[in-house]
This record gives sequence, C-alpha cells and structure tokens, in this order.
Amino acid sequence: MTEVQVSPEVAEYTEVHRHPEPKSFISKWIFSIDHKVIGIQYILLALVAVFVGMALSLLVRLRLIMPDKPLPLLGDLFPVGAPDGVMTPEFYLAMLTMHGTIMVFMVLTTAPQGGFGNYFLPIQIGAADMAFPRLNMLSFWTTFVSFLLLLAAFFVEGGAPMSGWTGYPPLSAVPEATVQGIGQDLWIASIAVFCIASLLGALNFIVTTLDLRAKGLTMMRLPLTCWTWFVTAILGLLAFGVLLAAGVLLLLDRNVGTSFFVPAGLVVSDKVIDHSGGSPILWQHLFWFFGHPEVYIAILPGMGVTSHILATFARRTVFGYKAMVYAIAAIGLLGFVVWGHHMFVSGMSPYSAFVFSILTMCIGVPSAIKTFNWIGTMWGGRIRFTSPMLYSIGFVSLFVSGGLSGIFLGQPTIDLYFHDTYFVVAHFHLIMGVAAIFGMFSGLTFWFPKMFGRLMDERLSKIHFWITFVGVYAIFGPMHYLGMLPHPRRYAEITGVDYLTATSGAADLHMFITVAAILTVLAQFLFVYNFIRSLAKGRACSEENPWEATTLEWAIPTPPPHDNFAGKVPHVYRGAYDFSLKGAKRDFAMQCNDDKAVYGAEQAAGD
Amino acid sequence: MAATVAPEAPVRTDSGSGSFVTIPPESRGGWGGSGDSLRDVQRYKLAVWVGMGAVVMFFAALTSAMVVRQGLSGDWQPFSLPVVLYASTAVLLASSFTIERARRSMVEGSTAGLRRWVNVSAALGLLFVAGQLLGWQALAGRGIYLASNPANSFYYLLTAGHGLHLVGGICALGYIWLRARSARPWPTREAAVEAAALYWHFMDVLWIYILGLLLFWR
Repeated sequence: MTEVQVSPEVAEYTEVHRHPEPKSFISKWIFSIDHKVIGIQYILLALVAVFVGMALSLLVRLRLIMPDKPLPLLGDLFPVGAPDGVMTPEFYLAMLTMHGTIMVFMVLTTAPQGGFGNYFLPIQIGAADMAFPRLNMLSFWTTFVSFLLLLAAFFVEGGAPMSGWTGYPPLSAVPEATVQGIGQDLWIASIAVFCIASLLGALNFIVTTLDLRAKGLTMMRLPLTCWTWFVTAILGLLAFGVLLAAGVLLLLDRNVGTSFFVPAGLVVSDKVIDHSGGSPILWQHLFWFFGHPEVYIAILPGMGVTSHILATFARRTVFGYKAMVYAIAAIGLLGFVVWGHHMFVSGMSPYSAFVFSILTMCIGVPSAIKTFNWIGTMWGGRIRFTSPMLYSIGFVSLFVSGGLSGIFLGQPTIDLYFHDTYFVVAHFHLIMGVAAIFGMFSGLTFWFPKMFGRLMDERLSKIHFWITFVGVYAIFGPMHYLGMLPHPRRYAEITGVDYLTATSGAADLHMFITVAAILTVLAQFLFVYNFIRSLAKGRACSEENPWEATTLEWAIPTPPPHDNFAGKVPHVYRGAYDFSLKGAKRDFAMQCNDDKAVYGAEQAAGD
Repeated sequence: MAATVAPEAPVRTDSGSGSFVTIPPESRGGWGGSGDSLRDVQRYKLAVWVGMGAVVMFFAALTSAMVVRQGLSGDWQPFSLPVVLYASTAVLLASSFTIERARRSMVEGSTAGLRRWVNVSAALGLLFVAGQLLGWQALAGRGIYLASNPANSFYYLLTAGHGLHLVGGICALGYIWLRARSARPWPTREAAVEAAALYWHFMDVLWIYILGLLLFWR
C-alpha cells in the first residue's frame, strides 16, 4: 500500500484529452465528443437502421409468397411502387437493394465497431477517450448524414435504387436501365459519405490502440475485443478509400457521361446508350476489393466479443490466445486477396479463379483455428449460461454453419452452379448478417450493466435468444435447399419457371421461410422491449464487476465517469483472461491486479 | 514537459478492483492535449501516417482503374500535358522547403518565423492550385474535356483528387497561422505544425507520383 509509483512514469502516462465534462444538453448528448456517448449514438443509429432494414426484408418476403395480393396501407405509402397495395417487381428490387445497403453499411459496419468499439476500446486500454475526440464526433455525424442521404432515396421521384447493394453497372450507371430519378445518385452519394466517415473512424481507432494503451498493456495483453476492433479499423482504412474512388467514378459515369464502367454499344430499351469502352467488370473488381474486407469488418468485432465472453463465462483463459491474435491478423490479411471469388462467373480466367479459390480456402485455416479455440475455451469450463454466453455460443454455431457453405462457394466449379442462387443468400446471411447480429446481442447484454447501471432481464433475453436462434436457422436453412434447385436470387416471383413450380416445393418453402421471418422479426420487438424496459426499470447493478470479468472496464465505477478512470491512470500487470487461477484469492485476476493483490502479500513475496 | 507534472507525489490506491495511480488535477493535460508535447507530436504524426494509408489506397484504386481502363478498348487518346504543370510542380516543391523553414522556426522558438513561413507555404499551395486550374483551362481550350475521353477523365480526376487533398492542407496551414497569431495558449502547437508539415510533404510526393503517372502511362 505504501509503495508509490515513481512520478516520471506517471508523467509519461498522463491521460490524453481531458476535456471538461459538458454541461448543456446539446454538448452532452448531441454534439458530444465523449466516446461513450458517441458509441451509444452509433448503437441507436444502428437500432433504427436495423428496424428499417427488417421491415424491408418483410416486404421482400411478402412479395415472394403473394406476388399479386394487395397489402393494406402499402398502396397509400408507395402509390408508384405498390399501386393498390400490389408491389411491382421494380419495387421488390428497390426494397431488396435498400435492405442490403442499410443492413451492411448502417448496421453491420456501425454498431460493432463505431458503437461497442467506441464505447469500450478506450476503457479497455485504460484511456480517457479516443485519440481524437472531435474527429470521433465528426465520424458519427458524417455517418448520420450518410444515413439520411440513403433514406432520402425512398422519397425522391423514381424511387429507391434497384441495382442491389453491390450497385453493379450498367444498372447503376445508366439511368435508363433502372431508376430515372436521383435515387441511385443519392445511394452513391450516401456510400461515398459513409466511406469518408468510416475512414476518419478507422484512423482514430488505429491511433488510439497504438498510442493510448495504459502502462503494462502490451499488444499481446490486449483483450481480443481490442484486437478485432484494431484489425477491423485497418481493414476499413485500406478498403473504404477504394470504394470511395469507385463511387466517384460511378457518379461521373451516371451524371457526366464518362465511360469507366459502361461499355460501348450498350442497348437499353431499344436505345443505344452514348458511352464508349468501359467495363462493368472494372467496377466489380473495385467494389469487391472493398466488399470482401467489408465482410470481415462486419464479423471480426463479433469474433472478438465472442472470445471475450466465452472466456468470461466459462471461467477459463482463452484457449490459444496468441493463435487467436494471429488468426485475426491472418483473416484480415487474406481478406484483401480473395475478392475475385465474388466474380467467378464474370468471365474471369480459370487460372485467376484457381488462385482466388486457393487463397479463399486458406481463410478456412484461421477460421478453423478460431472455432477450435472457442470450443477449447469452453471445454472443461464451469460454464455460466447467462444470456450473453448463449448469444456467443449462438455466434459460434452460426459462424460454423455459414462458414461451411463458404467452402462450397469458394470452388469456382461449384460456384458456377450456385452463383446468384438462394444458396449464396443463405451463406452470407448466416455468416455475415446473423452471426454479426448475435455478436451485437451478446455485446449489448454483456456490457449493458456497465453502460447503464442496470441489468437486462435474463428471462426475456433467453426467450429472445431461443426464438431468434431457431428462427434464423428456419429462415436461412431451407434457402440452401432452394439454392440447390437452383432457385435464382433477386427474382420478385417464380411463376412461369417450370422447374420451380409446384412439384419442387419451392413455393411451400417460401411460405415456411416467410412465416419464420415474421415470427423472428416479432421476437426482435421483445428484445427492444427488454432493452427499453431495462433502461428504465431493470434490476439496478451498481457493483463494478457483476460478471466477475477481468478487463479494465470492470474496474471502474458503473456507469463510467466522464473521463473513465476518474483522474486515475490504470496500470496493467497481466493478460486479459486470467481465470481459475490456482492459489489465488478469487478465481480470476483483473488486468490491473498485481500479484500481491491476486495471491496475497506472502505468496507474491515467495515468488 | 514532464517537469510540469507532479508537484506533489501521485497517490497510489489499491482497491479490490485494482491498482491505480491518482494524478493531481493540476498535472493533468489541458483540453485536447496530454500536457506532454512529445507524446502529442508522436500521436499527431502517427495519425498523419495512418491517414496516408487511406489516401494511398484511394489513389491506388484510381491508378489501377486507369491502367485497366486503358487496356480495355481502343478509345484511349493520349494528349500532351499542359506546360503550366511543370511550373506548378516547381512551386509545390519549393513549398516543401518553406514548410520545413516554418517547422524549424517553431523548433527555434520563433513564432514570427513560424507564421511567416507557414504563410509563404500556404501561398505557394494556393499558387499551385491556381496552376492546376490554369492547366484545366488550357486543356479545355484544346477541346480536352472531362468526359470526352477516358484519358482526359483520369487526368481531371487525379489532379482534382490531389488538389482537394492539398486544399485540406492549405486549410490546416491557415488554421496554424490563425492560432499562432492569437495569444490563447495552444498546448498542441508543436504537434499540429509537425503533423501539417508531414502531410504537406506527403502531398508533394503524391503529386510527383501523379505527374509521373500522367507522363509515363499515357
């Protein structure tokens, strides 16, 4: 107790960015530079976006089971897209496009990184804030503008774009091909603005992780959550610039008459389009050079939180921590050299396809390492089946299920058959969509007590978990079979396609999937109800460390003070996952506990 | 700056949840800074280095698009670069020397020198941008417009992309010039100047690369 750290060390590690606590409502909750508030802002933005995205997916599902039945209210809301309540095929494509775009950019890219990363990265590394708080605020509000631009596309003449979330030209580049109005332009502008926001955010995350770690917190002592946020930021930094460049080219093609992506002699509606010599494949290369890392931007933070929570509730150290770190880095690195596997049917040389295929298979290795280590972490642990633990186990299940179909799709010969079928829809929804969402569920239930000083209702969370877990398998499981028929994706209806008529069972499966989707979406209201009710009336939890976890966020008061550590500088003595220690006073050691605190004075001295 | 810290010894407290060192309030850094200028310089420069990664990727994407587009079809029509480009290149190179003078003035403690040389650098930057606009005008005079040929498109895109990034740098210099004038304390001054200078040099290198690309990949 009397041992005092020497002051030069303190000088070296004084906190960065001690900005005064804001007083007004605007500076505290709207234009806040506090990473915790910005994190919550990102999470709220994603929450709004995810419900918009879910509503769109329901419209898509309804159109598939009843192509010509009028839906109440829809005709009033969208007189052009759904006259008398019957959705036109174009409207279906627009809903599909907006569903994908909103989910990928505004939900999967914002909440795991901008939301939870923003809130907990600085705390977990012992910092008072991000490296550049005002830049952080700018990132969020730029993202917000991007979201508004995207939503605006619904309300302009001509309606929302319908070229898919991948925005393939010439559909996206030639107004005559799809949307005549500015819906597609708004979409491109929104993506471009989103790129800028994400680049600023990524820069902040990288500098924060490298520069603001507490004394003693070496990179190899970082919680795996921080590792995934860090690698995700690097992926974003290198990928979003490419998408931004592609977006600028697309916007010019569409509005100024350049010919980057539009070939010569293109005929649309019996009219020759006045462009020359571009190539849609060029867009595909640029887009997927971003698009594949984007998949990992969505899923990596979920992996981090899963590793973190599995260890905490199995009371075991992460099995193969170093291997986990290397696997995260390997997944990030390989993510940049496999974009071609999205383009096997683009007329690519079989030799290129072979190379992309081999590299794609390589990703199976770090992915398998991670899965093996997750199971190894739980193996023989004294598992506490709390709701965050359930969601994390759900994540592992979905990651494996979605990953296995990836091995099929990574082979060019098999992909020729499966490309643009529901098999692909099933694959990416399981691994990128739902798994990442389960990562968010586990993160939210896990950190909720630290963020808001209350616990979420365990029973409601568990009911929500089981309905959602079974629900998503019921939705996406049958889609594998549909894909094998092969049922093409992006079709508004399948009437008139011989092999998909009654005997194939496709229509029945669509009905089953739609019912499952409706039930699963309803269950999400349960989660929101739980979230809001727990904010107001949840069981109060003022203790610092309700889960008996080891990382720094559990060493500070609940909810965290404005500068996180209340004017103190944490010192880290050990790795992030010291559970079930032999001879220790408790069954875990926090990162800021030295040996004396963990084992008692005599034993530590004996060492 | 470490000398400004800890007039009284920091107090270490051990609670059940861990060991902390409490910093006396007067030792904590000011708004936006850590109170340790060396650390600030390091952090700001790191940010610029990381930011360069993003900018490099942006221009790498444009470069690869250019190379691919050129090989796609026979419609690529090379043209000679406007002569003014060489003058503006010289201006930009000169500005790298002046920004270095600004940085050195600051290190030597001369605020007047800092302001003067930042001023000169920003003016040279504006001159460069004006040169680029003249270049556009010269091309337009020859009937070389943005959309008339892919070769033109990439010329305009690359110069505009670099120009916008440089304008960002000019804004940063303007901010430094303004802040250096005011009497308000500015704890992150060194960091800001170092970072701006680093970025400015990067703009220089980036331009040389773009010029080379436009010259030799026609």
